[in-house]
Amino acid sequence: MAWQIQCTASSPPASPPPFTPKCLPPRSLFFTLSATSSSRFCPPHMPSLRSVTCSLSAVESPTSTAGLDDSKTPLLEVKGLTAVIAETKQEILKGVNLVVHQGEIHAIMGKNGSGKSTFSKVLVGHPDYEVTGGSVVFKGENLLDMEPEERSLAGLFMSFQAPIEIPGVNNIDFLHMAYNARRKKLGEPELGPLEFYAYIYPKLDLVNMKTDFLNRNVNEGFSGGERKRNEILQLAVLGADLAILDEIDSGLDIDALRDVAKAVNGLLTPKNSVLMITHYRRLLEVIKPTCIHIMEDGRIIKTGDSSLAKVLEEKGYTSISAE
Amino acid sequence: MTTAEKSRKKHYKENTARERMISFCGELERWEPRPYPCRCFVLCFRPLCPLANSEFASPSPLRKSTAQPWCCLLRRAAGLSRSSMAALAFTHQNFLQFTPKLTPSKPKLKPKRTKTKLSIQTIPTSPQASFTDQFVLQLADSLEDSLPSSSSLPLQKLRDNSSETLVSTQWPSRKDESFRFTDTSFIKNSDIKPISRPPESLAFLDVSSDAQFKSFDFVDGFLVDSSFDSSNFPDGVYVGSLLKLSSEGILKRVCEFLGDFEWGDLFWSVNGLGAPDVTVVYVPEGCRVENPIYLKYISVEGGDGGSKKMPVSNPRVFVLVEKGGEVGIVEEFVGKEGSECYWTNSVLEVVVGEGGKVRHSYVQRQSLSAAHIKWTSVRQESTSTYELVEVSTGGKLSRHNVHVQQVGSDTVTELTTFHLSVGDQTQDLHSRIILDHPRGYSQQLHKCIVAHSSGQAVFDGNVKVNRYAQQTDAGQLTRSLLLEPRATVNVKPNLQIIADDVKCSHGAAISDLEDSQLFYFQARGIDLETARKALVFSFGAEVIDRLPYAFVQKQAKDHVKELLESTGKGSS
Repeated sequence: MAWQIQCTASSPPASPPPFTPKCLPPRSLFFTLSATSSSRFCPPHMPSLRSVTCSLSAVESPTSTAGLDDSKTPLLEVKGLTAVIAETKQEILKGVNLVVHQGEIHAIMGKNGSGKSTFSKVLVGHPDYEVTGGSVVFKGENLLDMEPEERSLAGLFMSFQAPIEIPGVNNIDFLHMAYNARRKKLGEPELGPLEFYAYIYPKLDLVNMKTDFLNRNVNEGFSGGERKRNEILQLAVLGADLAILDEIDSGLDIDALRDVAKAVNGLLTPKNSVLMITHYRRLLEVIKPTCIHIMEDGRIIKTGDSSLAKVLEEKGYTSISAE
Repeated sequence: MTTAEKSRKKHYKENTARERMISFCGELERWEPRPYPCRCFVLCFRPLCPLANSEFASPSPLRKSTAQPWCCLLRRAAGLSRSSMAALAFTHQNFLQFTPKLTPSKPKLKPKRTKTKLSIQTIPTSPQASFTDQFVLQLADSLEDSLPSSSSLPLQKLRDNSSETLVSTQWPSRKDESFRFTDTSFIKNSDIKPISRPPESLAFLDVSSDAQFKSFDFVDGFLVDSSFDSSNFPDGVYVGSLLKLSSEGILKRVCEFLGDFEWGDLFWSVNGLGAPDVTVVYVPEGCRVENPIYLKYISVEGGDGGSKKMPVSNPRVFVLVEKGGEVGIVEEFVGKEGSECYWTNSVLEVVVGEGGKVRHSYVQRQSLSAAHIKWTSVRQESTSTYELVEVSTGGKLSRHNVHVQQVGSDTVTELTTFHLSVGDQTQDLHSRIILDHPRGYSQQLHKCIVAHSSGQAVFDGNVKVNRYAQQTDAGQLTRSLLLEPRATVNVKPNLQIIADDVKCSHGAAISDLEDSQLFYFQARGIDLETARKALVFSFGAEVIDRLPYAFVQKQAKDHVKELLESTGKGSS
């Protein structure tokens, strides 16, 4: 982990001391990327770590500059992230690099099994995966050092691809607990049940759900669409600086997708960001992404603007991986 | 089929069904056919090795759990052409003694019965059974001395029968199958004193009275007269003492059923001998009782935690619901504050007439040093419904024996139970549902949480689907949650199926909390401790939510929350 940071930071101005190939692993993706970018692009002026990764996007699509200028504050910086399945030690992520700035919407696309969902789960600290290398910095702090609940309280939210049922726990109680945990973290007084009800009631309209939705057990007997709406409701109640939406569109009909997209768009501010994982362009049409990343075999192999989705739709993933 | 078997068969021709038992060792995948004489007998399954328990416990370093799905399947076919077989599955490597016995001296299993009796429970048939247990004899004596002889004929009959049975009954030991995991020596080693009269002052009663439902209070097993108020009930409904029952008609009906039960154990008989009275709940034909009948059992006399003194009370209630009648029974067992060490040995008998319905709520929150033994015996006539929801949290030793006997077709039986051990406690449920008639429906859900390293939960759930119980739909599920290292649960779900056209399912799960559920909480910013608490509580809430009355539900919820809170600090 240490060597990577060191290497990137020092690469442009003072390359000599650490920039010997010996101190680097033979095939560090990050290294290769920065190396190519510096050789192909603008080798002399590479001022900071941030722009190194920015230039990554710049290499692939020089036209999309939105959110890539230096004035933007990075929200999430992922470098050379590798992760294995905790049980089998099978490597899933093989060096993911990604920077999300405030106010940006990123989309990750890719074939089944390319590691998209694993990436999102690793970010929120799912116990099934073990991080073996790389770094993740969220709002200037090392995310990997935090417990899952600390990550959530820090402003990271993931909507699950398949939200789990929790029989016996009321939806409103669950939301109440989560919301109060957040308020406690912010040093605000916790809300009583009635106050909380008043707070949550207007949010129901946002996801187009009925009130009885709150009195049911968390996700128990929910349809696919209801589960996804419930995830967005949680997002609306809890708020997040970075919302990771893992296949929020799968299993949704057109109307439900529109509802969900509307809700997500309604929650967006210039400050907070979205990282969504999807298979379909339809979602990208309703939630317009700043960049699209293509993931394959545990790496992000291509980054581009929304036009990339169109290319994908027409030619499929093979056209990209062949490049 | 061997010739030996063939020749043996001749002997059982009059039985029409040819039976062969195959004992199946689940783990060894080995089938071993055994010819089996089947007339009137009792099956005793018990380990030869007295150290069986320790053998079970040793392999697992942290949690010991023994799940023994004893799924006994017994198929009988009436015709020669159809193959008949019986299988017994044991997932248990210990030696099991498989002792068929012709009916022993028990008068209740008379040889004239033509129906096959199969029992998992060991009716004390061991060779020593003929010897009198001095301890039991002494106990019987002191019980008899504690009460004045009764002028009521049915009550006296009950006492006589019980006393007769007690003489030939031994105090249960771990060698008896039905007490294999339940150690009753704690009671035996105490100084048992039958309570001969209710306490003088009943001032403490006023505090607890619920405005919505007036309770019938039992203090140390005696029904308190002042709590007597039948005015809220429809005409014809009787709730009160058997001794004061004036209606000849009701008395006659009650006598038909009272104490007529062949499955009882020592504690059943102890109650029969020691009950000062029988409280009768009578619901006449077609009568629906709106308000639940709230029976509150309070133990007042009792030593403090350390003392050996153990006063015993024997409350007994008899519920008779005639054809088409409906009633809700709420039983609540509590100890008065300050009295800790006592023994409540309670019996409830329920007879549900044709098309009748009984909703039974049973909440047990005795002191954590008390002994609590309860029998619930239910007789269900055709198209009747019996629903039991139990929440047991108290007692150092708490044992509930439920016996549901189907005496007509199309019955509905639902048993939903939740046991919680937060201390050095044993929570035990032994249930038996016997289906003898077609189209019965029975659902059982048993859940237990053991939240203490020396806590224990025991479950033996027997469902028998006998020969004529075709098209039965029987389901049983038990789930246990062990929250501490060395917390123990012994579960023995067992279905015995003889009928061949049935739908039966059973399952047993022993687990810690699910990681994926915990993670869902964490991912929403809720810390592990809070998440665990919420999930543990919700585990029990599934059962508590089924209590049909809001006030009982709330009480139970608050109490369970409080208990879990008290242990939560120590647990990880």
